[in-house]
Parts: sequence; structure tokens; C-alpha cells
Amino acid sequence: MTDIAATAPVHGHDHAHDDHDHKPGFFVRWFMSTNHKDIGTLYLIFAIVAGIIGGVLSGMMRLELAEPGIQYLHGWAQFFDASAGDTQAKHFWNVMISAHGLIMIFFMVMPAMIGGFGNWFVPLMIGAPDMAFPRMNNISYWLTTVAFVMLVASMFYPGGSGLGAGTGWTLYAPLSTTGSVGPAVDMAIFSVHLAGAASILGAINFITTIFNMRAPGMTLHKMPLFVWSILVTAFLLLLSLPVLAAAITMLLTDRNFGTTFYDATGGGDPVLYQHLFWFFGHPEVYIMILPGFGIVSQVISTFSRKPVFGYLGMAYAMVAIGVVGFIVWAHHMFTVGMSVNLKMYFTAATMVIAVPTGIKIFSWIATMWGGSLSFKTPMVWSLGFIFMFTVGGVTGVVLANGGVDTNLHDTYYVVAHFHYVLSLGAVFSLFAGFYYWYPKMSGRMYSETLGQLHFWIFFVGVNLMFFPQHFLGQQGMPRRYPDYPEAFAYWHHISSIGYAVMAVGMLFFFVNLVYSMVAGKKAADNPWGEGATTLEWTLSSPPPFHQFNELPRIA
Amino acid sequence: MKSLKTLVIAAALSLGAMGAGHAQAPAAAPAAAPAATTTATPAAADAAASTDAAAPAGDAAYTPLKPVAGVGQPIDAGIDFQPQVSPVGEQAYWFNHALLLPVITFISLLVLGLLLWVIFRYRAAANPVPSKTTHNTFIEVIWTAIPVLILAVIAVPSIRLLAQQYEPPSKDALTIKVTGYQWYWGYAYPDQGIGEYVSKMLNEEQAKAAGEPYLLAVDNRLVVPVGQQVKLIITGADVIHSFAVPALWTKMDAVPGRANETTFTVNKPGVYYGQCSELCGVDHAYMPIAVEAVPMEQWKAWVRSKGGNPDPEAAEPAAAAAVPAGPVPAVSTTAPAQTPATAPGATPAASPATTN
Amino acid sequence: MNSDAIRSKNLRTAGLAALLAAAMVGLGFAAVPLYNLFCRVTGFGGTTQRYDPVAAAEQPKVLSDTISVRFDANVSPKLPWKFHPERPTDTVSIGARDMAIFIAENNSPHPVTGTATFNVTPDQAGKYFTKIQCFCFTQQTLQPGEQIRMPVLFFVDPKIKDDVDARDIQEITLSYTFYPVDEGKKAS
Repeated sequence: MTDIAATAPVHGHDHAHDDHDHKPGFFVRWFMSTNHKDIGTLYLIFAIVAGIIGGVLSGMMRLELAEPGIQYLHGWAQFFDASAGDTQAKHFWNVMISAHGLIMIFFMVMPAMIGGFGNWFVPLMIGAPDMAFPRMNNISYWLTTVAFVMLVASMFYPGGSGLGAGTGWTLYAPLSTTGSVGPAVDMAIFSVHLAGAASILGAINFITTIFNMRAPGMTLHKMPLFVWSILVTAFLLLLSLPVLAAAITMLLTDRNFGTTFYDATGGGDPVLYQHLFWFFGHPEVYIMILPGFGIVSQVISTFSRKPVFGYLGMAYAMVAIGVVGFIVWAHHMFTVGMSVNLKMYFTAATMVIAVPTGIKIFSWIATMWGGSLSFKTPMVWSLGFIFMFTVGGVTGVVLANGGVDTNLHDTYYVVAHFHYVLSLGAVFSLFAGFYYWYPKMSGRMYSETLGQLHFWIFFVGVNLMFFPQHFLGQQGMPRRYPDYPEAFAYWHHISSIGYAVMAVGMLFFFVNLVYSMVAGKKAADNPWGEGATTLEWTLSSPPPFHQFNELPRIA
Repeated sequence: MKSLKTLVIAAALSLGAMGAGHAQAPAAAPAAAPAATTTATPAAADAAASTDAAAPAGDAAYTPLKPVAGVGQPIDAGIDFQPQVSPVGEQAYWFNHALLLPVITFISLLVLGLLLWVIFRYRAAANPVPSKTTHNTFIEVIWTAIPVLILAVIAVPSIRLLAQQYEPPSKDALTIKVTGYQWYWGYAYPDQGIGEYVSKMLNEEQAKAAGEPYLLAVDNRLVVPVGQQVKLIITGADVIHSFAVPALWTKMDAVPGRANETTFTVNKPGVYYGQCSELCGVDHAYMPIAVEAVPMEQWKAWVRSKGGNPDPEAAEPAAAAAVPAGPVPAVSTTAPAQTPATAPGATPAASPATTN
Repeated sequence: MNSDAIRSKNLRTAGLAALLAAAMVGLGFAAVPLYNLFCRVTGFGGTTQRYDPVAAAEQPKVLSDTISVRFDANVSPKLPWKFHPERPTDTVSIGARDMAIFIAENNSPHPVTGTATFNVTPDQAGKYFTKIQCFCFTQQTLQPGEQIRMPVLFFVDPKIKDDVDARDIQEITLSYTFYPVDEGKKAS
């Protein structure tokens, strides 16, 4: 297969007129890109930028929460609006929590996982020359960008009691309808629309690519687990995002055209919005984590120099998680007032998800069992992922119990839980994937030392930040509060210190990025040795602009 | 019967005295002071009329309880749930601590242990030649079946807890109407004829003066009798709020346009704080909840101090027709005007005599 | 496979996927009527049942068991009305018809139009709480100072005693909320 990779560009060159193998000029290449690798790179850069903004927002929130009382909100609100008073300051808090959630979900994790790594490596791993619809791919990317600009811009427009949309990322009616007057919320909703449309187009593209463009011999049951994870994710996107689109469209008409879908005044029901939202929202959780599962599977296998244990079980566990993910949504609404039977059902159904998740955790360990492990940066991130995701998973089992959730619902325990599965789960897997594929994408090695420092400092920081939030939640600290009683001060302070530690860890990431671009060693085609068996490692680093013009054959 | 009553009154009195002893700053509790004075007259008259001479001047006069550190509120650097004072809360707390917490701790440590073991045992230096094992049906069945069993074990008490939470309340339960507003709570006791009163957060100086925790202290608490089942009918006036009291294991959304109900029974006298638990706008963090549980006699005194009738059963059912239901407390004053016509015997002041 | 064949195959797959997405959008909007239907059928969210005395084949049987019914009244802060039940509770025989009176009064110096929504708690009682006549969703206009008495005619379906989840219910709360009729929203 290495031969194929080596000949591909040459082959392409011969047919330059048909294949456009020569790289286009800067503007055409990056603004009208149809190349899956370039679009993947754009998505990754986009996600890093959005991650910085979302991360700065969380830093501001942790700073505000470091001490009881309100210290900084007034100043920040006045930055946007010089005449901002107390109300605007508190409104700005709600804007921050909303923007942090929306940015991290729609503009950091999803673009990085699906847009970034998915675009880059799905075609490479299945031996395809590009995505099925390269131009649609480009549309997806730019729609995401416009959506992001729209969301950031909404922070400068009136949203009721201050500038920006302060409805929470969940946009619950009636707070998001009659409760927030002004264009900011419309802009935020429209931003989600655009991001959703981009993701649906992306999902169609991935499904088509994976079904139709596999190289000869690459059967579904031979596909790398990362491709499986993207396939399942694409189906989740395809089935859940349209429902969100419908739900928030009705929010818009309730806001602007006098309909009363969610307004009790006209016989609507605000709870209906929550059902629709979480019908999307719960699969969304898996949309964010499944590609991470895929990345971790590749990394663990590579650095154990051993094939994935229980491949089929791993693939179908993801399918099972995806399917069950659609029938558990109301566990996000246990306190909304529902009958006991419904609550029992959602409790039981939710706990079922622990089974396929457990299969994955144990299969990763079994993959390492008997392997020959080397602890390169991607591997330590993956090991961190397994443990942190387990911790986040077991608190999920606690929360699944409707009776226990009565106390913990909307407290910091929930905040801790979903940050363990996302900020320590999804983000760890993102870093694992980034370090794993960085040599392939850039053609340069990162600094192993800086990568390890990044991991260890980040690991200590996020745990220091989020573990105490379990305690806060059990003590009764509610979510989305800018201020809190004195008694919560201790753990909030520790949590904020954790943020600072994490931020130092991130410095090493950026330093590493710059270092590798300026002085990184040239990366070999396959820097990870015999454990890396997927097709992308048969290509040069970075891969040619057009690859697999002659399709590889998979034995 | 009488001795029991005396006992209760004595207990109430001593508690009241304790409360009074602790109330070093009477001016600080705005609601308390006027409440006490208004009660004085009917209560004194009642005492004189009744044969129970055991109760002098302030027969079970209501004095707001002082919160106790560590009860019904978070504690500094605390890591556990707040001490539970309701049967459901005790059950749930037991479920979490006897089953959930050990199970999740064990699973986390098991995964950590396995990870550390493979890291140590199968590091490249110790195991240079990897095995090629990729399947083991037996172990795959095991790690599917055991989690299923664990979940089944968890599910049984979990379902039982849910059933307990949802046990239909007795019709004798004290019914309280709770309404969430941007950004305060309104409470009404329809059977006692207490129209809606508003409960707002005390500002920092007021809270400090009252000796209560800032951001939890409120001016008018939700007062309930100890040991009596309480049924809350909860609704929201504008956006969705959520009525939550951690020490009572209670949380229920206040959804506009629809009523939700939830119940609790408080075992111990005390002040139990909670906070709004559904994002409701700018002052979401500034509409706390304070539930005060007092012995029955004290509670009755409190009801009288609010101008209500603590024993609606004894009076004619029609007596409670005076329930004002408007969200504006001031409006409710017009309602009692109609009452005497329909039920002359049911004016609040007269009721204690008819009951005892 | 040549590139044309791949292309048409891709378009077919993408078309199917797009169709699936479109169907899900449809489902999202269809959720509104479906949810209402679901609520009516199952009593979900405390949705009550309607009873048409003309269409009904037989009168419900009156049981000796009684149940307490609580009447709860709310007014939107935007509506300058006073609204309360005549009596807070009533004890009725299961299956027997009962009438409750709600009283509304306009406190403002202007004529105001309002409309009411309602539900019952506990949730599982919705299936059995049957209304024969009520003022829900009908618009009421009150002149300044005008007071009206609005009757609700209902019974509790005897089948409640056959439902393990609902037979222990001792008190059902019927809750109304009056909202102003927003001129802008009248059209919908």
C-alpha cells in the first residue's frame, strides 16, 4: 500500500488537466476549498479559535465565582455598554453561560470532531480520494462560520434585560420567547439554525462517503472504528438536528409572529419545547462523544501495537448507544412534573446506556492487555480519557435515578458530570486525536516533552476544577448562579484555582503548536510504528493534495 | 388528650422562648415583629377563654426560628448532601450512600486499577512482543452481564424511591400554593384562608442583622408544621422557575400555565433553605426559598398571625371561600368582605375557640 | 465503477439521507399536534378528558367512594383580574357530577378580555378527570368592576379505581390560569 501512496501524486501529475492536482492559489484554496483535508484544517483552526473564546468565557466565569459576591460582572458589562447597571451586569452572566455552552458544543467540539478529524481522516481511512460532495463540504464549513459570527454578534445586541442572549444554551421557552425581548435571542436561535443546517449537510456527506466511496475490499466490518464512530454520529445528526430545527423555528415564530406553540396563553405548552429540545439534546451528547470513542480506539490500538479487542462489539456498542440515545431524553426533565410511570421508564432506559458504554471501557482495557504499550502523548491523553470518562459515566448512573435526580437536578453535580464526560472526556479525546494525527496533517512532529507537560498540567487542572463541583452539587449549589452563599466559597475557590492550572497547561499546547510549526522535526509517513495500521499512515506526511487516485485494495 | 396537648404547648413554648432568646435583633426580622404584635390580641383572648391556663400571655406565640448552622443550609467546605429531614430524603440519602456511592466508587477504582495494571505490566519495556488476541467471548459476555446485574440491583431501590416520592398525598395534607415570579416566590394557604404573600430575598445587611445566611435568607418564609404532610401546588407566573429545598429532597418546576404538585413531610423543626433551580432571567440567583418547620401549635399561632384559620375542618367548609387567589397580595383584602355573609362563624379570630 | 456510476449512486444515497432529515423536520413540527393528542389520550401532563353527554352511550356509574377535588385559580400578572374558586375544595362521589364555580372580577378601569388554560394534578389523574362543561379557552370579556361566576361541570371517571397508579389518589387539583388575550396573538 505504501507503493500506492508514493505513486499517487505522480499519477495525479500525469493527469493534471483532469485532476487539478496542482494546488490552487491561496484564496481559492482556503476560501473556496473543496479539498477534504483543507476543509478539515479550516475546521480545526476554527475550532481552536472558538475554543479560545469559549475558554476565555469560562475563565471569566471562574474568576467571578472565585469569591462570593459580584466582583467583575459590572466592569465586563460596561465594556459592552458603558451605561450598564446592576441588571445588565447580571444579565451578562446569563449571556456568558449561554455563549459558553453554545460555543463549546456547536463551535468547538462538533467542528473539531466531525468537521476537523472527520473530514481529514474518514476519506483517508476508507481509501477514498475525497468526500462524496466536496462543494457541499465547503458550504457546511462556511455556514458554520457564519453561524459563529452571528452568535458572537448577538452579544452586542439587546436581549431583554441587557445585551446578548441570556437564555442558557437550552433556550427554554418562555424565557427565550416572552422572557427575552430583543434581537439577540433571535440571532442566537438563527445561529443554531445555521450551525444545524451545516451539520445536517455534513452528515449527509459523511453517510454518502462512507457508504459509497470505500476502497475495494474495505467492507463495513473492516472499517476503522473511527469511521464507524463518524457513521453513527452522522446518523444521530441526521435524525436529531432536524427536530431541533423545527423546535427552534417554533421559538422564532412564537417570538415574532404571534404563534403560541410554547405559550400557555394560547393553549401551548412550554414543556413541549423541552421534549423537542432534549429529543435532540440527548443524542447531541453522543454526537460529541462518539467520535472521541473512535479516536481513542485508534490511539489505544496503535500504541498497544495490538488490534482493537472485540472490534464488532465496539462498533455495535456505538450503534446501540446511538439508538438508545434517542429514547432517554426526558431524564433531562425529571423535575418538570411528570407521572411516576414515565419517570420509572426514563430511569431504567437511561441506565441501560451504561451497558454498551461499559463494553467500550473494558474493551479498551482488553486492547491494552497483552499489548506492548508506549506512552506517547496521544496515548496518555487516551488513558486519561478512559478514566475521566468512567468517572463522568458513573455519576451519570447516579443522575439517571429519577428519585436521586430530584435533589441533584440543575445543581453543580450535573455541571461536574457533564464536564467530566465532555471537558475531560470529549476534549481529552480531541487532544489525543490532535497529537496522534498532527504529524500526518502537518508533516512535522510536535514536542513530546511539551505534549506530556500539556497533558499532566491540564489533567491536574481540570480535575481540580471539576471534582469539587460534585461536592458543591451535593451541598445544593444550583447551576447558572453568578453569586452564592458564603458556605460554597471554599470549593468554588478551589475550582477556580483548577481553571488557572488548566490554563497554564493550555499554554504548553499553544507553545507546542508554534514550536512544531517553526522547528518541529519532519514527520515520517508513519511515525508511530507497526501499531498504526490504518490507511492514512500509508500516505506521505502530509498526504498529497489528492490521494488514492488509484484506489488501494484492502486484503 | 389534654396532657398531650399541654405537652405540645410546653414544647412549643420552650422552643418559642429559645427562639426569642436567640432573637437578639428584633428590628432585623421585619416580618417577625409585626407578626408577634398582631397575634397577641386574639391569642391572649383565646388563652383567657380556654381552660388551659397553662399558657399565659403568648400562647404558642409564633416567633421565627433561627437557622442552625449545618442544618437546612450548606456548610463551609461541605462535601456531602445536606442532612435530610424528610422520610423521602432519608430514603434517598440511604440509597445514595448505601448503594450508589459504593458502586460508582468501586467501578471507578476498578477501572483505575486495571489501567494502572496494564500500564505497569504491559509497558513496552516489560512486554516487548504484543499478543494478537482480539476476541474472548467469555470475557465479553461477562462484562456485559455483570453491569446488567449491577444495574438491576440499583433499579430496585431506585424504583421504590420513586414510588415513595409519588405516593398520593393524603387529603388531609396541608396544601400550600407556591407561585414563582420574576424574581420572588408567592405562597398561599387556601385552606387556612391565608392569601398569597410574597417571599423576597433579604439584602446583605438585612440578612446579617437577622443572623441568617445572605442569598438564602428571605423576609417571609414558607411556614409548615413538623410531622404534617405538606402538599405543594406549584406554578409559574411568567417563566419557568423551580422550587427546590435540598434538605427536604424536594425540587419541582414552576411552569406557567400548569400546576405541578409535590409533597414532603418535615421531621424536625428548623429552617431549611433552598434556591430557584431553573434559569429564570436576571435575578435567578436572588430568589431563595426558606421553609420553616415548627411544632403544630406554633404553626397555628403563625397562621393566626397571618390572619388565617388554622383549623378549617372545624369550621364550616364554606368558610374558606375567602381564598384570595390573585397574585397581588394587596387585592386579597377585598375577598374576606364577602365571607361573613356566607359563613359568619368562620372569621379567623373566632376559630381557635371552636377548635380546642 | 466509473465516476458517473459513483456520482449517481452518491446522489441517490444523499437524496435518501436528505429525505430522512426532511422527515425528521416534519416530525418535529408534527410533534405539536401529536403531543396534544398524546396528552389527551393518556392524560399526560394532567390533561383532562371531555365528556359529551349526548354522544356518550351510558351514564358513568356512581361509586360509594368519594374523592376530594381542589380548585386552584391563577391569574397572569399581566391580567388585572381577581380570580378565585368559590370553594377551595369539594368532596364528590366518584362518578357523580359536580359543579364548581370560579369567580372572576375585573379590577381595572377598562374592559379586559381573558382566556384560561387548565390542568389537573397529580398527573395520572388527568385520564379520569372528565369535564362536561367548562370555560376553558373561551374568551371572556369583563367590563370594569364586573364580576362573573363561571361554572365547571365535571365528574371523576369510576375507572380511576381500576388503575393501580391512580386509585390511591385522595385529592385531585383542578388548576386554571387566566391570561389576557393578546390582540397580536388573536389571529393564531
